[in-house]
Order: sequence, then structure tokens, then C-alpha cells
Amino acid sequence: MGLNRRDFFKYVTVAGAAVAGSGQSAQAWQSRAPSDPVGSLVDLTRCIGCRKCEEACNRVNDLPAPDQSFEDYTVLNRKRRPDERAYTVINRYTSGMIDERDQLVPTFVKLQCMHCQDPACVSACIAAALTKKENGTVHYDVTKCIGCRYCMVACPFEIPAYEYHNPITPKVMKCTFCYERVQSQNKLPGCAEICPVEAITFGRRSDLLKVAHDRIKSNPGRYVDHVYGEREVGGTSWMYLSAVPFEKLGFNTLPEQPIPRLSETIQHSLFSYMWSPIVLFGMIGGVMWASKDKSDRVENGKKGGAS
Amino acid sequence: MIRTGPVIIGFMMFALVGFCWCGPALAAADVTAPKPSVEKVVWTAPDQEAAKKRAAQVVPFVEAVMDECRLCRQQRLRDMGLNVKDQTESYYLLNSPIIRKTEDHYGPVRFMHAKHAGVTKDCALCHHYRPVDDTAMETTRCSACHQKPFQKDHPERLGLKAAYHQQCMGCHKEMNNGPIDCAGCHRKNVPDHKDKINLAANPEPSQVTSECLRCHKPAGEDMLKSAHWLWKGPSPYTLKHRKEVELGKATIATNNF
Amino acid sequence: MTHQAAPVNAKFWTPGVVVLAILMAAGAAAIAARFIGGIGYVSNLTTARPWGLWVGVDVASGVALAAGGFTTAFLAHIIGRHYYESVVRPALLTAMLGYTFVVLGLMVDIGRSWAIWKPMIYWNPTSVLFEVAMCVMFYLNILYLEFLPIVVERFKGRVNLPGPLAALNSPVEGLLGIADAILPKIMWFFIIAGVVLSCMHQSSLGSLMLIAPTKLHPLWYTPMLPLLFLTSAIAVGYPMVVFEATLATTSLNLDSEMKVLTPLTRITIFLLGLYLALKVGDMVVRGTYVYLFDFTAQTNSFLVEMLFGVIVPWLMLLSPVVRRSRRALFVACTLIVGGVLVNRLNVFVVGYRPPISEANYFPAIGEILVTVGFIATLMFLYRFLVTYLPVLNKPEQEVSA
Repeated sequence: MGLNRRDFFKYVTVAGAAVAGSGQSAQAWQSRAPSDPVGSLVDLTRCIGCRKCEEACNRVNDLPAPDQSFEDYTVLNRKRRPDERAYTVINRYTSGMIDERDQLVPTFVKLQCMHCQDPACVSACIAAALTKKENGTVHYDVTKCIGCRYCMVACPFEIPAYEYHNPITPKVMKCTFCYERVQSQNKLPGCAEICPVEAITFGRRSDLLKVAHDRIKSNPGRYVDHVYGEREVGGTSWMYLSAVPFEKLGFNTLPEQPIPRLSETIQHSLFSYMWSPIVLFGMIGGVMWASKDKSDRVENGKKGGAS
Repeated sequence: MIRTGPVIIGFMMFALVGFCWCGPALAAADVTAPKPSVEKVVWTAPDQEAAKKRAAQVVPFVEAVMDECRLCRQQRLRDMGLNVKDQTESYYLLNSPIIRKTEDHYGPVRFMHAKHAGVTKDCALCHHYRPVDDTAMETTRCSACHQKPFQKDHPERLGLKAAYHQQCMGCHKEMNNGPIDCAGCHRKNVPDHKDKINLAANPEPSQVTSECLRCHKPAGEDMLKSAHWLWKGPSPYTLKHRKEVELGKATIATNNF
Repeated sequence: MTHQAAPVNAKFWTPGVVVLAILMAAGAAAIAARFIGGIGYVSNLTTARPWGLWVGVDVASGVALAAGGFTTAFLAHIIGRHYYESVVRPALLTAMLGYTFVVLGLMVDIGRSWAIWKPMIYWNPTSVLFEVAMCVMFYLNILYLEFLPIVVERFKGRVNLPGPLAALNSPVEGLLGIADAILPKIMWFFIIAGVVLSCMHQSSLGSLMLIAPTKLHPLWYTPMLPLLFLTSAIAVGYPMVVFEATLATTSLNLDSEMKVLTPLTRITIFLLGLYLALKVGDMVVRGTYVYLFDFTAQTNSFLVEMLFGVIVPWLMLLSPVVRRSRRALFVACTLIVGGVLVNRLNVFVVGYRPPISEANYFPAIGEILVTVGFIATLMFLYRFLVTYLPVLNKPEQEVSA
């Protein structure tokens, strides 16, 4: 657990004692991931690219009507990204594989917020507008947001979008994992509920991992032996199974280390208990006092004053 | 908001009347007249009512199924002498309340059980497992095992909706036969337009058209490309050139907004 | 040696100032467009490229180039080299204006400008940006406090508000008196705090990009980024003073301050050398030199940054001839200032390549107008304040040209 506000205050007030504690302040970084989050497993071998998830997402989140109807499959001819009007989109990839009828075998890839276990956006957010909920959702609270867009810089999946054309009250727009529906109304996320083929399996992340590995084990020819999101950036709540190597489907290869680890370690080891600023203050003060022997204190301190 | 429902219905009735008789002197009093004739047109399959009843049932959930490979199962069914002649129903309406709980976008599929069985001649193709319970029937309905999706105790058990779709579409694809698009099996449920239409009381006919076009723009564009709109010349296809039109809607001054 | 700062006795509306005013007007129009049509209306920022010119120049470079404030304060007040006193006030003014415009730039860049105060209530201690924001906020206030004695010196005993405000004359006078009495006694605290806060957020600006390991080009992405930002900010402090003092003395026809500037840049040799050593060492240790000659936009920009921004000016400064020549020293220091500017732009804009979207970005005309407008306003205010407040050195002979 990092510094929370109360601790922060406490440590500032007992600043003197804090310096002594600086030795143990540089502890190893600790994940703050919830222990038993929910998640979704997307089985790309099942997805038929019907775009019903896009439609359901649009409906349950009251998003603006799309330019092209959800039944218009020509949008699949280009690669799209989730944006401020669509939390999720389906893209079509062809690996060059051809079926018995000489048709290219398509693989459809659903994109949305991955709801990382240790989200970079949550670590980055200047005002704690983004939080990782106990159920795994990376939740955005617009009332705290100032619109700095650091979350967008931080996100390794390039997911959060921004209402750039709203001059005064723009919002960060990204998949909500239907937090209200799941938590308060005990419903399924819109996309998981509507999917006609259960390409999206919703459940506890731990159960989903078991399901994923079972599917790979019982159909070794059908899947590549990789659950995308199991370990990427320390694990994500949304995970994928595929028949085609993920690199060929627009998934980027990511480290297994949680993204916030490095910056949080640096920040934590430098600023826990505010020890380094206090030490620096003391050192500079000492230098200032020592070099003041030559002239009197007031004269020296009178910054900018004529001398 | 102005209640537009009655107005719209009135208009639709008016159009209907116009199509049926094309009589210029019809009074508004006749609006209710065509109703019985409309109902007469609807044809119902003789076993429709029974199918509806069957569809409404929810049977007890089968917790465990027998673990056997497909070939073993086919062999066993053959040994038991079970084949497609043993089926009890030829027609099913796939309209389970399990699915209806969350879905209202499409109408139910009318599934020709006997026809599919006759073509595949293999019960085990769809009835791929049997309940562990010895007293249960050898082939049971889909919704006995496939009910709510994402059940914690049965993570790999598909929900009923996904089971239907995967089974039907998977087989249709494999056999290269049968529809794999939504409309191939389902009738789309037209959402209630009562709240969607935004018209003043007593709107002009052109206002009604533009209100339709507000959402159904492509339909309007299609219309502009149709012969109905673009027609020029004699009408060769009507019997004895009855009701002959020389010009399409585009060139006639009335009713072409 | 004594220094006597005084208001500048020069005509205010010179052609240069008029040009500044025109640029300011253009910038104001662009800002108005941003607050009417939204950020998307005036900028090329996208989902993939959420930060652009405004963050790279207005914020990151603004903070770095305002480093003259704390570095000269350290020199003159903390280790007591009063010899350099004469450059402290202009450096302080530059820093104060620089940070003011960092905040104004942020107000344009963030989507909900009216919510800028929210991080003060909703803390997120894991956020590097949160720490930077807090430091900048406190430091800006300290800069205003440090500048206050200059205002006091100018107006104490001379408060003469026009018309109906005249009634406030004596209260204001009283406040100035209190400030004059208290400030010198507590200023030491703020001077030290200013240096500490500067070290904190100058380095943390580098930590900002550590959250984007897949996006920032490996030539820049290093765990040492905070240290590199801190050393480069310290190194650019005195060159920035030289740059700004030379421009001011030239355009205002004041005495050249080479007597102070030459020894000042001797320190820079060491500081810039340290930065160069760290940067090269980091490159060697991580083996990123393999990218050097890829000749992509990123690597070319890195070469420009290192070659013309660090190595060439460092070699120039090694020569005493350069350090004593006003013109050559100005060129060297301009290169260093430009080098740090390019470095900040590289880290925040050029070197930032989102691997999935691979979106290209070039600032829109609206973004450029806003940035140019801000810089013009900053120069205009500098000019205005040195005209009416005792910031710059009085010419030694009263008969100025």
C-alpha cells in the first residue's frame, strides 16, 4: 500500500523522526491488485464479428449513435480503435489461412479497456479520478478529473479516449466494465450478455484462467498456447485466447512487469516520509548557515535586496 | 410531449385502406374495417400452440453429463436401436424464457427438428451428451444442460443462447448449408416506434416522410434509386396495361417528398 | 563591487514590443478558439497522442528553462557568492514569469481548466504528476514571495493610487511596511524551500515518462531519466541567465555584464560536463547506441540534441576565448538552452511513439499560435516589469546611450 492522505499528513508532521526511518523506506514495490477480481475471457476462435457487443455497449452506456449502423459490416474493412464514442470495437484480421471454400479465414478481435491488475492509468492519475475497484474494474470518476490526459500517456494499450471537442467539460472515455450493472444491478456487462456465441466468458479471473488453460489443453490444435492478459503488464482482467499468434492480431508484446512499478519505486524510495526533501533542506540550510559566517544573516537572506 | 401514437396508427390505417381498395371516397369511419382481414391472413402452423407451450417450459438443470466420446456415443445409440424415427416432435419454437430474460432484439427461431434430423441422420450430432442419471431420457432437450451462461460451478457449460448459436452456425458452416447470418433464422423484432417518433398532431404528409427519414436515411436513398421513383415510359408488366404510369414518383408533382 | 538595480530608463513601445503585441493577439485568438471549440478544434492531439507541443514546450521546457531562478539563488544566497548578485533579480523574474506561464499553459492544455485545483483535495501519492503539480504550485508561490521585496523596494513610501483608490494608500503602505519588516527575516526559509522544491519537480518531470516504457524511444527511456532531467535543468540555469541577460542588455542598451557572466559559465563547464557524462554513460550501459544511426526522425532528433545542444557548446565553453567574447558566449549558451528545449521536446513529443496506433503528430497552427503567444506575452511582461521595477542593473554611467 502506498502513502495515503492520512499517512502523508502524519509523516509530514513527524518529519524529524521520519529521516531516521529512511533506511527502510525503500522497500520492494508491492502490487495493489485486488485478490479476487472478475474478468472476461475473449475466445477469438469463437467470435463471429457480429458487432452485437458494440451495439450493446453503445446502448447500456448511452453512447451517441454511430455514424454507420452496427449492422454495417463494411466498417470491418479498416482497423478501428476504441474512441470517445465507442468503448469497444471489433477489428477483422486475416492471417492468410484459407478454408475449404477458398475464403480467407477471418479472426475478429474485440478491443476495450483491459482493466489491468496494476493499472498504469490509476497510478498516473493526478487526482485519483481513476481507481482500481475491489471487483477488478478500473473505474473513472469524472468529478475528480482535471483533463490532464496523463492516463492516456500511461496506458500501454492506448485505450482511454478523450472528448477533444468538448471545450469546457470533456471526459476521458473508456470501457466501464459496466461497473454499475455488475455491482449494483447484478447483471452481466452489456457485451458479455449479448454475445450470441459466448466468445466473451464473464467470471472470476481465477476461474477464467482455469477455463482458458483447460480449453488450450483439450484443444491443443485450436489455440496457441498463450493466454494474453494472464501475465502481460502483471495481468489484466480481460484476457484472450486465439488460434493465431497474438502479434499478428495487433496485440503488442508487453513486459510481465506491471507498468507503474518503476516510477512508483523511484517515487516511493525518494519521497516516502518526505525524507529526501527534508534531508536536502537540512543540508542546504547547513551550507547556507556555514557560508553566512562572513556576512550577517539578515543581509544574506534578503533575497534580491540591494547589497 | 405530444402523444403521436394514435396519429401514426391512423396514418398507417389510412395507407392500408388506400392500398386495399384505392377508393378515393373512403371516410375515416372505415379505418377499423380492414382489421379482421389482416388477422385472417396470418397462418399458424398446426403444431404452433404445442410448440409454444414446450418453449415456455424450463426443465430441471442437468448437473452432470456422461463423459463419452462422440464415436462411442454414436455407436451406443446404434446399439440401442435409437434413430431419427424415434423423435417425438417435428417442430420446435426456440423461445426459452432463459434467453427471453435478457433478449428482445430478435424473434424466436422456428426450428424444423424432423427436417434436420432427416438430413443429418445422426442424433448424437446435436444430442452430444446424456445426463449421468440413468432414468433420464437418452436424448434430452438443449435447455436441460444449457441454461444461464457463466455459471460458477460449470464454467465450461455454454449458456442456452450460445449453445444454440454455436451448434447451428457451426454446423451450417461445416456443412456449407443453412444460414449463418442473423436474419437467416430470426425475424428482427421491430422496436416500438411509439416513443421514437416525434411528430406534431396532424402533421403534413411531407413531415411524416421526413420524420421516417430521420432514422431510416438509407431506405430513402434506396427509394431514390428504385424504378418506383425513376420510372419513365410505359408500364409493360401490368395486365392489359392497367393503371399505366408513364412517369415515376420523381416526376409526378404530388406525393414525392 | 556594488550593484544597483533600477527601473530601466528606455522607451517602452519599440517596434519589437509591437511585434510581441501582435503575436500575443494571435495567441489570444487561438486560446479563445480553444475555449469555444475545444482542444480538438485548435490542436492535432488524439487518443494516441494526448500530449503535444503544449506539454513539451509550455510546461516541460518552461520549467526547465526557469531553472536559472533556483540555480542563481543557490549560488548567491546559499553559498554566499554575492559577486553574482546582479544576475539574481533578472533570473528570478525569468523564473517567476516562466512558472506563471507553465500554469497558464496547463490551463489551456488540460481539458477541465476550472478543475485545476482538484488535485489539492483528491490526492494520489503514486502519481508523479501529482508530485510535480504540488511542487510547482508551492514553488510558484515562493517565487512570488521572493519577488515581493522588489515590489516593496519600488513602492514603499511612494504608494500613490489614482482617484478613488487613494483612500487605500495608507493601508497598502502599511502592508508594504509589514512585508519589508518581515520578509528579510523569513526569506532564508523560502530560498532553501525553493531550491528543494526545484530539485524535486525538475527530476520528477523526468519520472513522468517512466510510466510509458513501450511508448518512449529507448534512446530516452532510462530509469535515470529523473537524474538526467535534474542535471540538465541545473546545467541550463546559468546559460539561460547569460542568454536572457545578453538579450536584455542588448535590446535595452544596458551595460554588458560579461564580468559576471564569464565566471558563471566556468561553472557550467562542470555542470554540463556532468550531464554529458551521465547521458553518454547511460547510453553505453544500456547499449542504446545501436539505435544512434537508424536515421529515423527520433534518432536524428537525438543526434541534434546531443551534438548541437550539449557537445558543441560544451567544447566551446572549454575555450577561455569563447567565455570572454560576448557574441561567442551568447552562441554557446543559446545552443545549450536550445539543447535542453530539444531534449524536453524529444522526451515528450518526438520520442513518444505509441506502438499500436503509431500515430504521427505535428502541432497544428492553433497549438503553435498559443505557444508563441505565451512566449510573446512572457517577453512582453519581462519588458514591462523591468521598465517599471528595479530588476536590471543601473548603467554605471548615468548617461546611457
